[in-house]
Amino acid sequence: MKRYVAKRILTGLLTILIVFSINFIIINLAPGDPIKTLMGKETDDPALRAALEQKYGLDKPLHIQFVSYLKTAISGDLGTSIIYNRPVSEMISEKMPATILLVLTSGILSLIIGTLMGIVAARKEGSFIDVIFSGFSYILNSMPSFWLGLMLIIIFSSVLNLLPTCGMTDPRTSYKGIAYVMDVLKHMILPVGTLILIEIPLYYRIAKSSVLQVTNEDFILTLRATGMNEKKIFNKYIFRNAILPTVTIFGISLAYLITGVALIETVFAWPGTGRLVLTAINQRDYPTLMGIYLVMSVSVAIVMMLVDILYAVLDPRIRY
Amino acid sequence: MDNTILELKDFNVTYVNKYKKVYAVKDAGFKINKGDSLGLVGESGSGKSTLAMALLRLLPEKTTEISGVANFLGKDLTQMSQAELKKIRWKELSVVFQKSMNSLSPVHKIGTQVEDIYWVHNPKATKKEILDRFTYLLELVNLSSRVYNLYPHELSGGMLQRVSIALSLINNPKLLILDEATTALDVVTQGQILDEIVKMEREMDMTRIMITHDMSVVATSCNKVAVMYAGELMELGYVKEVLKDPLHPYTKGLLASFPSLKGENSKLEGISGFLPDLSKKYEGCIFAPRCKQAMDICKKKPKLIQLGNERAIRCHLYGGEK
Amino acid sequence: MIKTIVNDKQLLFGILGIIALLIIVAFAPNIAPENPYVFGPDVLNKIGENGHILGTNKMGQDIFSMIIYGTRTSLQVAVISALISGLLGILIGGIAGFFGGTADRIVSEIINIFMMLPTFFLILLIIALFGNSIYNVMIVIGLTTWPSNAKLMRAQALSLRERTFVKAATAMGETKGQILFKYIIPNGIFPVIANTTVGMSNAILTEAGLSFLGLGDPNIISWGQMIYDGKSFLTSAWWIATFAGVAIVITVTIFYLLGDGLNHVMNPKHSKGKGV
Repeated sequence: MKRYVAKRILTGLLTILIVFSINFIIINLAPGDPIKTLMGKETDDPALRAALEQKYGLDKPLHIQFVSYLKTAISGDLGTSIIYNRPVSEMISEKMPATILLVLTSGILSLIIGTLMGIVAARKEGSFIDVIFSGFSYILNSMPSFWLGLMLIIIFSSVLNLLPTCGMTDPRTSYKGIAYVMDVLKHMILPVGTLILIEIPLYYRIAKSSVLQVTNEDFILTLRATGMNEKKIFNKYIFRNAILPTVTIFGISLAYLITGVALIETVFAWPGTGRLVLTAINQRDYPTLMGIYLVMSVSVAIVMMLVDILYAVLDPRIRY
Repeated sequence: MDNTILELKDFNVTYVNKYKKVYAVKDAGFKINKGDSLGLVGESGSGKSTLAMALLRLLPEKTTEISGVANFLGKDLTQMSQAELKKIRWKELSVVFQKSMNSLSPVHKIGTQVEDIYWVHNPKATKKEILDRFTYLLELVNLSSRVYNLYPHELSGGMLQRVSIALSLINNPKLLILDEATTALDVVTQGQILDEIVKMEREMDMTRIMITHDMSVVATSCNKVAVMYAGELMELGYVKEVLKDPLHPYTKGLLASFPSLKGENSKLEGISGFLPDLSKKYEGCIFAPRCKQAMDICKKKPKLIQLGNERAIRCHLYGGEK
Repeated sequence: MIKTIVNDKQLLFGILGIIALLIIVAFAPNIAPENPYVFGPDVLNKIGENGHILGTNKMGQDIFSMIIYGTRTSLQVAVISALISGLLGILIGGIAGFFGGTADRIVSEIINIFMMLPTFFLILLIIALFGNSIYNVMIVIGLTTWPSNAKLMRAQALSLRERTFVKAATAMGETKGQILFKYIIPNGIFPVIANTTVGMSNAILTEAGLSFLGLGDPNIISWGQMIYDGKSFLTSAWWIATFAGVAIVITVTIFYLLGDGLNHVMNPKHSKGKGV
């Protein structure tokens, strides 16, 4: 177990190192010289140029540049956004909570809903409800998330006029306490709903197939032969065995959500990192873009690492 | 007192799906007395495992039809309600399946599973009682009580199969069915476990059905044998008599191709041809197409002919209809 | 062969769908009522107005014709990126699994690490920096999605190299390279092909996502681009974004059906019913 965790942490660290390397390579390979990339395309200020050259040692050989790049990045300095003239790390940490709110809420809800649907479908395999759920999941799986978001806006806001479509709060009001929370919740419904719908197929399929698979295992047959009641067999034995793959999927799905959420934040004008991405693209604010990539990749690496360790705790078979 | 444990009469099992019916077990009939150990032998696909699963009522009810009588301790297994079944499961009728590696949940400790299973019939038992009881059974199969706190993957296949056997005996069942319980094991382990089973049987006064494709298993561990082919019982009798003097051409062929210790997929050399398609109904003797001694009369269905001393045979060579 | 296709409904609909898509691609100018690259006089027409089946956008382009031409873009992106990703995956995975040892350990670790990286964001970053031509998009998708193919191919190569015919070839004195290309890859390629169809779906979705963030190729008609343009007209001209999305959903579903169908056919374990 300890060795497994150690190994897993090492892989995580290696992943983070590779993320930094990719960023470094991209800066150096991008059209134009690295300074231009680091400054953003639309500006050219000789004083700034000199300062950046100094900071990253751009007159030195590549491997030394890489080391100094690593050093600054690991110290938390992700560069400065020329457009806003602010440290990138500061801008990201300011926007991060809104994104995390979306990602975690929808991640957990889709896990619960998708898994429950999968279990129901597996228990009633071949029934009407199974066919409906499976078809639903198949179609959802083929939908671009941002398009689904737009369609929900058309339905719930344009046609039914029920829900707010943009932002996290109503700008015309300044609620406090419960009213503020309610306002945020109301604004969350559509973006979170979209993300849940997009994520459901993932959990649905894995839950359904693993429940089906475990139900056909020999040990379940043995338990049936002992006269144990079906409820207990399911709740204790099938569930515990079938839920393991879902844990892994949760990690992968969070990783996917963290990056996919940019599209949804754009659709609903949610004030998170996704919006930052969009403005960075439009303004050619490369330092911000790369900073976000770094932060997201590192968070994904950490989340995956934690999930793998959790998996090892849950599955006694992993002990190397 | 009547010492019959299980008596089958006209027992049929048919798998049904949208497109076809598969007649997996046809007109099976035999009797097992207290203390008997019956070896049910046949190639894969002969219906022997289906017969066991049907007796245990573990086949999906939607896709199987069971008819006939299976009197178990005076009650018909085929007619029992779920509640009645629940009462006898594991307490009077228990089973060990083939795949030892999958016979226990991989993410629960063996002790936890033993406790849960014991509690089905003894909800008030304490953990200590269960541990004591299981330790005794583990000793019978030469395992230390250490395995109680281990996970299944920490044991070898042979050890796991021993655990399964010990577990099947936890309620002192009247009848134990072992479905290819030693097939997946190496020859040495298989031999040891068979010895342990025979020893336990003496100690615990148990009756047993041993399902196998391997005649040598029957020879070393059973007193009676039933030979099955394509869903039908071909020959029944005491092991000593049947092995020494096989009557049915199929039994003869099976014994001729004896050394089949390594899995059942190797084709029987003593018998040419293949198993018939069980989704069709056959008029005559089911074995006739592969039988070297087939005659005209074999186009008619032979009955199970009783030859005395519990010996029975389904073959026109030994009388019956003219 | 035909029988297996007809028996597996998913595969059947997948193949029929692909044929339909290919016909649309080949005969786009004949099917589309107008040339969507030409701005027309009918601006923001409603559905059916002036003979525009699905309406027009603010430039007066016919939506139905745009969707027909957009099929070309989507399929092009899907096929070329999947080819790049498939070839890379087969080569890297094949070499790792076949040669084994240190090479395999390093490659497997790289595969694992790459599968943990947020691919979409990496693609986005590269496209933002290197320019958003459709060719860049295809190449970058191909270059960043090979690890899942490599993983499958590696597993195949690992089991194939133990097979008798490979060992026989070694004994006959064929070189490692010859064996890799003559035996390992041809015999192990099928799961990768099935996986590639899923990769095609993802490529279509990725291209659409990039376009939606403003990173699409402005010189080309693509469904993602249409949704991006339609976003501003969501309340006034909902048809612009809606139908382009429907086209994506249908196309992606077709590729998923094909992939699942291929998996069933090549993996008999999945298709077999229970019992008997």
